[in-house]
Amino acid sequence: MPNRDMATQELAARASSGWPLLASELSVLFRRRRTWAMLLALAAVPVLMAIAVRVSSAVPPGRGPAFLDRITQNGLFVGVTASLVCVPLFLPLTVGVVAGDTIAGEAGLGTLRYLLVAPAGRVRLLLVKYAGAAAFCVVAPLVVALAGAGIGAALFPVGPVTLLSGDVITPGEAVVRLLLVAAYLTVSLLGLSAVGLFLSTLTDVPVGAMAATIVASVVSQVMGELPQLEWLHPWLFSHYWFGFADLLRQPIAWDSFGSNALLQAGYIAVFGALAYGRFVTKDVLS
Amino acid sequence: MTRKWLRWMPAAAVPAVIAAAALAGSLPASAGDPLPAKTPQEVLALMAQHAAPSLSGTLEQTSEIGLPEIPKAGPTSSSGAAAALELLSGPHTARVFVDGTSKMRVQVLDRLAERNAVRSGDQVWLYSSRDNTATHLTLPADAGRHEDVGQYKHPGAGMDGVMPTPEDLAGRFLAAADPATEISVLPEVNVAGRAAYNLVVTPRTEGTLIASVAIAVDGQSGLPLSVELKARGQSEPAFKLAFTSLSLEAPDASLFAFSPPPGATVKEVEVPAHGTGSRPGHSTEGGVVPDPAVPESVVPDAVAPESVAPDAVAPDAVAPDAVEVRPTVTGTGWESVVEFPASAASAEAGAMMSSDPLLQQAAVAVPGGRLFSTAVVNVLFTDDGRVFAGSVPAERLLTAAAAR
Repeated sequence: MPNRDMATQELAARASSGWPLLASELSVLFRRRRTWAMLLALAAVPVLMAIAVRVSSAVPPGRGPAFLDRITQNGLFVGVTASLVCVPLFLPLTVGVVAGDTIAGEAGLGTLRYLLVAPAGRVRLLLVKYAGAAAFCVVAPLVVALAGAGIGAALFPVGPVTLLSGDVITPGEAVVRLLLVAAYLTVSLLGLSAVGLFLSTLTDVPVGAMAATIVASVVSQVMGELPQLEWLHPWLFSHYWFGFADLLRQPIAWDSFGSNALLQAGYIAVFGALAYGRFVTKDVLS
Repeated sequence: MTRKWLRWMPAAAVPAVIAAAALAGSLPASAGDPLPAKTPQEVLALMAQHAAPSLSGTLEQTSEIGLPEIPKAGPTSSSGAAAALELLSGPHTARVFVDGTSKMRVQVLDRLAERNAVRSGDQVWLYSSRDNTATHLTLPADAGRHEDVGQYKHPGAGMDGVMPTPEDLAGRFLAAADPATEISVLPEVNVAGRAAYNLVVTPRTEGTLIASVAIAVDGQSGLPLSVELKARGQSEPAFKLAFTSLSLEAPDASLFAFSPPPGATVKEVEVPAHGTGSRPGHSTEGGVVPDPAVPESVVPDAVAPESVAPDAVAPDAVAPDAVEVRPTVTGTGWESVVEFPASAASAEAGAMMSSDPLLQQAAVAVPGGRLFSTAVVNVLFTDDGRVFAGSVPAERLLTAAAAR
């Protein structure tokens, strides 16, 4: 079993520092077929969208997701529109799978106790597992944005990009903005990853933790739509998810980026502490 | 057991720290030096003499005037009146950039969209990202009089020779307003991180819907930083427009150089030389939020309080031609009722009231017409085409309508 081999390697590496452990965690994560399948599914969203717009007639402005009508004028918008479409469900779904699997996955496979043989290894393991989930949060939005920009450039003309403010920027600047959007989404998903990490420490059944994480993201978004809970909205981790549009204004409105980062840091702190409390006091039997 | 308990400590401590930080953040920041005490007259003078040459800031608007909530997402209604209602109901954020008296840019930040109004000299562009349309207008040479930006000038500008000082004007204004209105300065407030005088205008009569109007005047520059309108029997402000961040430095000049983006639908609009109708700065389609820097239009209204209410509610915003018809005013001060006689424009507005589902929801049928009621202003459209408006209880409008 490759995972068990990894665990043995990790045991050998533990003596030095956490870096080899992190490296092996990342290589396990990104060598998994499941991870590749999820990234391919994410990349399929912009591809399908671009092909659908290409073969159909012109989209009238104001219909469908925002920016959809701009795609025909500028292929780079495929990346933005696809990010927009992936934010509510697809990105949280894949992040939920990765984050929910972190601890519970090892427990479910029976490899967790091998990872924990060394003393004081639990905190380090928790950190490494979270870093792995965070790495996925970096890659997933990037895949959507870059696959979108790529397919858009292939199927549609690429030229100066019109921002929400009506100002026009060069394609080079537009790619920078696109990367900023991906970075914004990475930050947005970090809080959810921390929630997933905590849920993952609660159970030995990875599917349960994954489902619970995804449910948490849906519940947060549903509560964000209810006007009766207005007082709660600024505290929901999904509150600023759509704020990445502020990066497409001229000048860039950084307020939502800052507020979002602060909010996600709060979630990381709270659920990181909860995960720590749970994981270091947990009896690891599998 | 104790060790186990200790390990849960961070999980308890972190939320406590966050809660403490959130509480500390919500407390008003203690301003450094308190502002020197000023009388209402001095504060009015400070506001009148201010000449903010340039600023960039973020404005936030909230309103609880009892209009139906309009969904944020989804297609916007095509009718101009509904667009105006959308701007008045619910929260909005806008960025304002001003450089001198002739360059200005307002950006209404919508969810995944933006509405822009850019003015550079006599060139005005309105742009909406939602439908990718740009509207261009050239202001007539005398536009300064109708322009909001122009009002940053000294009030006495143009009157050579006898130029009254702001203090004189403030004194005269106070004397004129006093019988109907109490103007006082409350303890200073902190708006957008700046210490400000809190000028409060309170009607002396019970016969109006307006409880008070509070204007925060920046202690250093005299720039109005926020306007807050309170309605009777409502603890939340009915309407509030305030800077959340403000810098008095000149914004980047490139912000004012606007040209329509490729692919946008461009519309040219002719502005009549003596435009009495829609004022460019107040175009509802362009999505310009009323600027709090213009409370001049709020304060002197002790004489005609109905324009305290955001003008889009008043019927002339519904049909700009309505100004051709002379309205008559009954009652005085805060209790005035404005009557617009029956005309094509008012009939059109009435027809729109009954056809637009959104407005239909907002306007209720009353004996003899339809009543459009909000917390700060009531508008009655009678069945015979007349329109009555005022910041007065609905019964007074009905009485006024029945009296004719």
